[in-house]
Amino acid sequence: MKNFLTLAMMLAFSCAGAVKVGVLLPLSGSGSVSGQAAQNGYRLALEEINRAGGVLGKPLELDFADDGSTPAKAVPEFVRLVTVDRVDFMAGGVSSATSIAVSGPARQYNTFMAWIGAAAVTVQDAFAGDPYFFHYHPWAYDNVTAVLAYYRYLKSSKGAKNIAIAYEDGPFGASGIDSLVALLKKNGFNVVLSEKFKSGSGNFGPFVSKAKAAKPDIIHWIGYDVDALPLATEIRQQGLNVGMVYGTPPSWPVGFEKNPLAQGVAGLSLWLPSSPQPASRSFVAAYQKRFGSVTEEYFAPLAYVNLKTLADAINRAGSTDKDKVAAELAKTDVDTPFGRLTFSESGKTKYQGFKAGSWLDFQFRDGARLPVYPVKFARGTIQYNSTR
Amino acid sequence: MTARPEVLRAAHGAGRWRQLWPLLAYLLLAAAFPFLPFGARSEYLLQIGYFTVVAGVLALSWDLLARSGQLSLAHAAFYGIGAYGFALLSKAGLAWGVAMPLAALIAAAVSVLLGAVTLRLSGMYFAIATLAFTEVLRTVVQNLPDSLAGGANGMLVPALLAGSPRGQYFLAFAVLLLTVACSLAVRFSRLHLAFSAVRQGEDVARVLGVPVVRYRLLAFALSSFLAALAGVLYAGKTFFINPQETFSVATSIAPLTTSIFGGLYTTLGPVLGATVLRGSEELLHTVLKDGSLMVYGLVLILSILWLPRGLMGLRRRRPGGDV
Repeated sequence: MKNFLTLAMMLAFSCAGAVKVGVLLPLSGSGSVSGQAAQNGYRLALEEINRAGGVLGKPLELDFADDGSTPAKAVPEFVRLVTVDRVDFMAGGVSSATSIAVSGPARQYNTFMAWIGAAAVTVQDAFAGDPYFFHYHPWAYDNVTAVLAYYRYLKSSKGAKNIAIAYEDGPFGASGIDSLVALLKKNGFNVVLSEKFKSGSGNFGPFVSKAKAAKPDIIHWIGYDVDALPLATEIRQQGLNVGMVYGTPPSWPVGFEKNPLAQGVAGLSLWLPSSPQPASRSFVAAYQKRFGSVTEEYFAPLAYVNLKTLADAINRAGSTDKDKVAAELAKTDVDTPFGRLTFSESGKTKYQGFKAGSWLDFQFRDGARLPVYPVKFARGTIQYNSTR
Repeated sequence: MTARPEVLRAAHGAGRWRQLWPLLAYLLLAAAFPFLPFGARSEYLLQIGYFTVVAGVLALSWDLLARSGQLSLAHAAFYGIGAYGFALLSKAGLAWGVAMPLAALIAAAVSVLLGAVTLRLSGMYFAIATLAFTEVLRTVVQNLPDSLAGGANGMLVPALLAGSPRGQYFLAFAVLLLTVACSLAVRFSRLHLAFSAVRQGEDVARVLGVPVVRYRLLAFALSSFLAALAGVLYAGKTFFINPQETFSVATSIAPLTTSIFGGLYTTLGPVLGATVLRGSEELLHTVLKDGSLMVYGLVLILSILWLPRGLMGLRRRRPGGDV
């Protein structure tokens, strides 16, 4: 008993003054897939950091909190981490709505935030000019820029010019649809069809029928995982011939890559396990060793990079002083699974990490996702006329 | 001396105060909440308290309509009108003190228009109509120009009282007091008898000369006004609203489950339900990080099985029912 108490006291003293990072993630609710993936990324990074000596000579501590994917839960959890658990820094953040909701307490407590998600432009407004807000994820408009670059490449190399768009009628699909159409037209594309659908309805018959008449080169689909198979099935059943079916769901259906209907379907991701960068390969190896599987969720490596760079900045700053850490984190220039990470001003926020160039396009090919564009990330050539 | 009905006798004089003291104790506790000696935890608990009060306002406002026998699934619509109304009026330059009641009045006016059409329906038909209305409103708001209401992306909302946590809490508490006052005003007036008559036997009430639609319209307007205030409180705290979340079915269902859990057709029940549900959710979340939702769901199921009259069913039934 005495030995046990002595050991406990030693442990307590060793952790006294340890740097604490609060991590707010959607571990339940609609964003939980990304949240759970991010949590694994943080755990992996934490173990590596502490194996390498921790932060400021002590083991780094992480304090996870579940925002439940709703602002009403995110605000109290954020305040608890900052005022009760007294964390030194905040990390995490996936949803834009919850991130905006915590912007109030963040300003009130002058919280340092190394934020991995929240791509909506309104987040920029909420954190405009914040000296302690570091945003890692590309903004939503970077996503459009990346898609457009890919389409331009298809136009020049394959002659793709006519685009039919199917978008779900919720905020994910409908937001920015007008500006997307305008942008495509401005870049010399013909938007031959633009139609909304109810996500989860599985009813793509009318859209595919109209598309057959409009003869598009590309089907651009904005929806959720539940819509992927119904659309692919309908295209096959009606014998619609297109150069490419391109989708941008937040996540793809589990096992979609194994389905023959997925062959040739293209999409956008910040990262793939098959990405060729050395940093990506070492992350995949470490992840597989730790969790016994490979993740396809890019929030895992994003969280991993987030914590590693933050810990590195604290060590370089030599203290937990927010201004010193911010100055060091701003100097970050490292290779990551997503490519090079540096911070620069973007719109209204002071520190933006990954940008449009970080996105990569892939195709489902032979049961896996194959990066095909940009050329520097490509591990195979584009299969065009995939349904023809 | 004319014998008065038991229900009215209980609702007046000493009987009334005997029934009111638990509610008054609850309100006193809620008012003192920001000053309770929780030390470092007070700021965190203040946030929990704020959202609990908002949930209580929403639940009690829903219960006011339920007393007239109507199962509304349009609460998200009026909550959303309050939130968006407040955001747009603030954007137009109105002070929060003007924007807040004005947004609630707009919601009440919309409810009168909707009620004039749908309140002749009852039961599941009314529920379906109100649910459809919420969906229609969500689509309308989503398709408003981005420059006006942010479209599907949503829009930023100015913070209430410059974001002061304590000030915001007291504002929410003031709205709760108003909601409780409305509930008690209904409970201790002839409206209570009219609402109960309409709920327990619409046709009989009609035969006895009770203007059913008029009373239901009144309940609907009052309920919507208060739900809109809850929407303003929510929007002014989270700084951001979007059509998908604000007009969600979950927002319509939450006050229903809270009221049933606390005790239908009472004043204390819904607010107590909100406090216990939110409190236990947070407690479970803190104590049991993994699996807290499973335990929470189990507690809900068991409480519905063992407490068919909700938390208020734990009290000995008094003549005239609970306040």
